[in-house]
Amino acid sequence: MEAADDFCVMDCSLLRSATARSCSNLRELLESLRTAGDAVLEHHMMRCVLEDHFELHEFPNDLARWCWTALGDNVLGEQLAVVDPYRHASTAALRATLVNLLEDRLWGLEHVPWCRPGLEMHLIESRLIGYDTGERIHTPAALLEAIERMSPRSLFFHVHDARRRTAGHSDDFSLWLERVGADPSLVAKLLGIDFYFLRLSQLRQELIEAFRDQAAAAPPLTRSGP
Amino acid sequence: MKLLDRYEDIVGHQEVERLRRLAQRLAGKRVIHVNSTRSGGGVAEILGWMVPLLEELGIAARWEVIAGSPEFYRVTKAFHNGMQGLPVALRKSDFELHYEVNRENAARLNLQADIVFVHDPQPVYLPHFTPPGQVGRWIWRCHIDASHPNRSVWKHLEPAVARYDAAIFSMPAFARPMACPKFLILPSIDPLSEKNCAVPEAERLETLSRLGIDPQRPLLLQVSRFDRFKDPLGVIEAFRMLQPYHPEMQLALAGGPADDDPEGAEVLREVLERAGDDANLKVLMLPPDAHRTINALQRSAIVVLQKSLKEGFGLTVTEALWKGRPVIGGACGGIALQVHDFQTGFLVHSPAGAAYRIQFLLRHADKRQRMGRTGQEFVREHFLLTRNLRDYLTMLLCLDHPDETSLVV
Repeated sequence: MEAADDFCVMDCSLLRSATARSCSNLRELLESLRTAGDAVLEHHMMRCVLEDHFELHEFPNDLARWCWTALGDNVLGEQLAVVDPYRHASTAALRATLVNLLEDRLWGLEHVPWCRPGLEMHLIESRLIGYDTGERIHTPAALLEAIERMSPRSLFFHVHDARRRTAGHSDDFSLWLERVGADPSLVAKLLGIDFYFLRLSQLRQELIEAFRDQAAAAPPLTRSGP
Repeated sequence: MKLLDRYEDIVGHQEVERLRRLAQRLAGKRVIHVNSTRSGGGVAEILGWMVPLLEELGIAARWEVIAGSPEFYRVTKAFHNGMQGLPVALRKSDFELHYEVNRENAARLNLQADIVFVHDPQPVYLPHFTPPGQVGRWIWRCHIDASHPNRSVWKHLEPAVARYDAAIFSMPAFARPMACPKFLILPSIDPLSEKNCAVPEAERLETLSRLGIDPQRPLLLQVSRFDRFKDPLGVIEAFRMLQPYHPEMQLALAGGPADDDPEGAEVLREVLERAGDDANLKVLMLPPDAHRTINALQRSAIVVLQKSLKEGFGLTVTEALWKGRPVIGGACGGIALQVHDFQTGFLVHSPAGAAYRIQFLLRHADKRQRMGRTGQEFVREHFLLTRNLRDYLTMLLCLDHPDETSLVV
């Protein structure tokens, strides 16, 4: 039977749309970051992890990747790679950080870096649909088992998108574990994961390790209360 | 067994179950796909699996095909080429014929539906001639690269496209600036189709024997039309560079007959001339339904090439990766989305680059095998029809919530 405080496993699906805008050089990218819609920034800085191509990409966002590989601007690529959008209070704040970074970079360059034809950055926006999978988790131990086999999209929804929904404060797993009275050290471990810099497969491993570390140090994972 | 169940062994029970879950929200929706042919070509291939699977998911899906004269198809073939930027000569009467055939088909077809997907330019004027109120939303699915169309062709098609509620393109680079949403849905392959299913070893060997290919010696393969953009001459050039070092190597260039394509026939002539009487180089003319033959060839190749100079998505690359073959591809179009250096193969920019990378892969069997495995998993995750189906279901749900970029249904 489903209890009100069971964990509801969600999945999500991403629909991408073209904006028919593209950038060939750093100045165009700067202009795009100033004027493109919030959904464009959200896609290229956050949701792009859903298109994660196994271990093929080393940077957590499209902007860093494009500056590094297409423009050959390694300095800017590295700088963009460490911009964590989930530590920004709003998309406007994220935009300001990115614009400032690019302005700084352009200021110090003698030549504007261009990409080769065919390697343009095509600006994309996306829509995310979350949906209930019907799966319910009753105990923290069962949550660990569920995480082991959860789709990467579910992990994105419960960690990345949850941070967006909670303005950076928490993820769905931690919120639920807190609600059911799980060990606070486990919650602290989960909240401490630098999820933005991980691929979804790595995130899964980090989550599993946090649960296992806690289990090794504490009594079996059970739900508190009557 | 239900149709979708057959894919569980490949993508897992969870993926199939999630499709069913997502589709529950769309139960009963009436969807019609309209294109210009029931068989032959990539669009018919996609609709052949998509319509039954949508039906199984509870969506009332139908597939309608427009009818037209050979002259109509000559004109729309010119549109097709023009959309991809080739120079085409069209008369006023050609455009009038396009209107007329669309008007006749709008009257003939029953297009009562919540959503009608119109594929490519042939039936694009149907919304103009369908009585208002019959169709909830019109969506134009453009399978070709429409980024730089011939001006006269686009001038003719633009008013038609303006009537649509949304468009779908395969890649962002292919999208035209249009007022409506321009969704992006990458193509996919059906892992259970004749072209991609497992082939018994005896059949594979019989295929090679029939085509005069030695199964004991390494085979390089390119499967594509005899088209300059596919650069078959560049492939031969790369092969010639390798021959002094690997005299045992074989190359097969497999394509279809080019009787209806004057330029294709010319390219084929050049290819045959360049191939000469080299017994290690086979130019294979295969019929359009030789799917199992292509399948067996791809499974027999040590490395698959797709050395295109210009490419749409490049489903032949997807097919080869799915069969665990590293791919050496031209750095263009959708090939760059699928081929990643040292991961799934190599992107190259010249025949010399292709020869160099082939040599590398021949020398490093372990890397070749690892790339093959990575490529197969890459396709499993991104380019199988289950992902394509999920994208369509997501789009149908998004259409009901046009202003939201994030929602829970």
